[in-house]
Amino acid sequence: MSSPLPAPLRYLLQALAYAAFAAVVGYFSSFPLYRQLGDQEAVLKLSFSHSGQLKFACRERSAQELAKVEPNMRNKMDCPRERAAVLVELDMDGKPLYRVNTAPLGLRMDGAATVYRRLAIPAGAHQFSARLADGPDGVINYSRSVNVNLTPGQVLIIDFLTGSGGFVFTHS
Amino acid sequence: MTTVTRLLRTADELATGTFDRAFKAAHNPWRHLGALAFLCLVLVVLSGMVAYALYDTSVSGAYQSGLRLQNDPSGLGRLLRGLHRYGADACMLLTLLHLAREVLRGHFRGVRWFSWLTGIPLLWLLWIAGITGLWLLWDERAIFSVTATAEWLQALPLSGELLARNFLTADTLNDRFFSLIMFVHIGMPLLVLAAMWVHVQRVSRVRIWPPRSLTRASLAMLALLALVVPVLSLGQANTGYVLQRLSIDWFFQFLHPLVDLLSAQITWLLAAVLTLGLALLPLLPARDDRPRVAARVDPANCNGCTRCVADCPFGAVTMVARTDASRHPAQAQVDSALCAACGICVGACPSATPFRRGDAIVSGIEMPQTPIAALRRELQRKLSALNGAKKIVVFGCRQASDFDALADAATAVLTLECAAMLPPSFLEYAMHLGASGVLIAGCRESDCEFRLGDRWVNERLLGQREPRLRKSAPVHRIELAWSGRDMLYAGAAVTRLRSRVLHSTGPDAHHREGIHTK
Repeated sequence: MSSPLPAPLRYLLQALAYAAFAAVVGYFSSFPLYRQLGDQEAVLKLSFSHSGQLKFACRERSAQELAKVEPNMRNKMDCPRERAAVLVELDMDGKPLYRVNTAPLGLRMDGAATVYRRLAIPAGAHQFSARLADGPDGVINYSRSVNVNLTPGQVLIIDFLTGSGGFVFTHS
Repeated sequence: MTTVTRLLRTADELATGTFDRAFKAAHNPWRHLGALAFLCLVLVVLSGMVAYALYDTSVSGAYQSGLRLQNDPSGLGRLLRGLHRYGADACMLLTLLHLAREVLRGHFRGVRWFSWLTGIPLLWLLWIAGITGLWLLWDERAIFSVTATAEWLQALPLSGELLARNFLTADTLNDRFFSLIMFVHIGMPLLVLAAMWVHVQRVSRVRIWPPRSLTRASLAMLALLALVVPVLSLGQANTGYVLQRLSIDWFFQFLHPLVDLLSAQITWLLAAVLTLGLALLPLLPARDDRPRVAARVDPANCNGCTRCVADCPFGAVTMVARTDASRHPAQAQVDSALCAACGICVGACPSATPFRRGDAIVSGIEMPQTPIAALRRELQRKLSALNGAKKIVVFGCRQASDFDALADAATAVLTLECAAMLPPSFLEYAMHLGASGVLIAGCRESDCEFRLGDRWVNERLLGQREPRLRKSAPVHRIELAWSGRDMLYAGAAVTRLRSRVLHSTGPDAHHREGIHTK
């Protein structure tokens, strides 16, 4: 501890303290800039929510089976709810870029399979091939190839919409 | 104490000392970090109320709302945006500094556990309030942040729903998103205010607001910052392009670079470990192994004066109906769960005077570890062992430093849990027994480990608070040294006091301004 400072010096130190605090707040409020992507990179987002095919076909319950359950629960048809996993493969310029086998959601595995993947890729012209298998046999039943020229920072979105015929490539 | 902790404590002491010199102790912003954070929160809430009135909660209108404010020719819009944004940033920064300082000072254990635990959710609430506010501007920073946060959230195995799909294309977003975010953005600060109320529940005489000079200067600083470095929106949110280099608010958006660096799962783990680690800090063993025994009331000596209730910094003492047949209407009662064992209540008790007859004096409220009779005996013993013409007695606060180093042939040192544990009558008693001067040494001014000790000592000695130092006391033979851990300063205070009493030829000064406070 030291002797008190003269008032002008105290005020100067106070001003410096406030200025330093303001500088920290003002600077880190916007800086340093965050580099989220390389200068020559674009972004690919593969994302979809798709229900695979039912894993098992419906079958008719036998009379013995029906007799075992309560009368109000005697449904003739047994249709298991479990759905198949969805396999997705994505190639870029003929080389594998991403591959995932996604299980359906839900405790009974009867929900949609969801995929979200963000990838940084080099900007420029590319050929993308996407394939999807949603049946219990794992056979590819949807595929699409497109050529896209991506500028730096551009986002390519690959979605899967059954109503639109399968894969949808979107870029602005 | 580890080397790192010691270094940080020294840095804290250095910062406290430097700010003390620039601002004076009572107005030292380093001691008002929590109150300054609250001031910023109030500023953010008030400026947010105005901003909300001007905000359009729609996809098309959100971005324009920000632009309208920043392009307002009167400059009021810029001021509003700046106060709101910089106020939030400052609030977060001050909260983190407040937390760091409390950790360094070990203010998470003992009776402070409640304030500590209830402070932890505030960090999360503040962060959520802040980051959602940045989304409302719906610029390139907002779309980046909301997408990155959605990606982070969906990394939790709680739900298979893909939140980030909501921000894939411009078509997937509707106006309800902004209503929802606005709801969260307004709701969180309200929760923060409620949580802050809980946070300070176990602290008596809590200082919610910083001193006026700090309030004025802080608001002026933020207003100046808002006008000189205006807060500007980036380009309108665009789902089709991302900026390679992006300006982000590091006070709230630090998460996104961290996730990119470590992965969402590891960041969640880190957040959980940090939160849990902070919550478990009160279980750490205390720095010293002295058991803390709560103050104990002796009804036979308690006249129900309520001074201990008024002085207890943690609200541990209350008045209850008498348990004996005394004519006094009430008696003190100590809640041991709230008692910090500081002994300030003993210093406030009118019966804690050493001038009482008999060897086994008992105060109305006592510290079982250091009864008032034992303190008197120690004073008598140590004073009788002193040699030299000018004997000095030092009453040193254990929390500040180990003042035993000041002891020599002419100087006796008595250690107290807190300087305010000492009733003023003890000073006179020491001089009555032959001490030429008495020094009270404790934590830095306004930095009492038990919050209010130095304030009560000052007020008692200046006759502004009961129990008062008698008007006839020889005040020029009393010195206060709020030295903290600075033993050189405490030693210099002893030398100064000895020199003063050595050269004192006239009668004792009988005015209270004569007490030498440093």
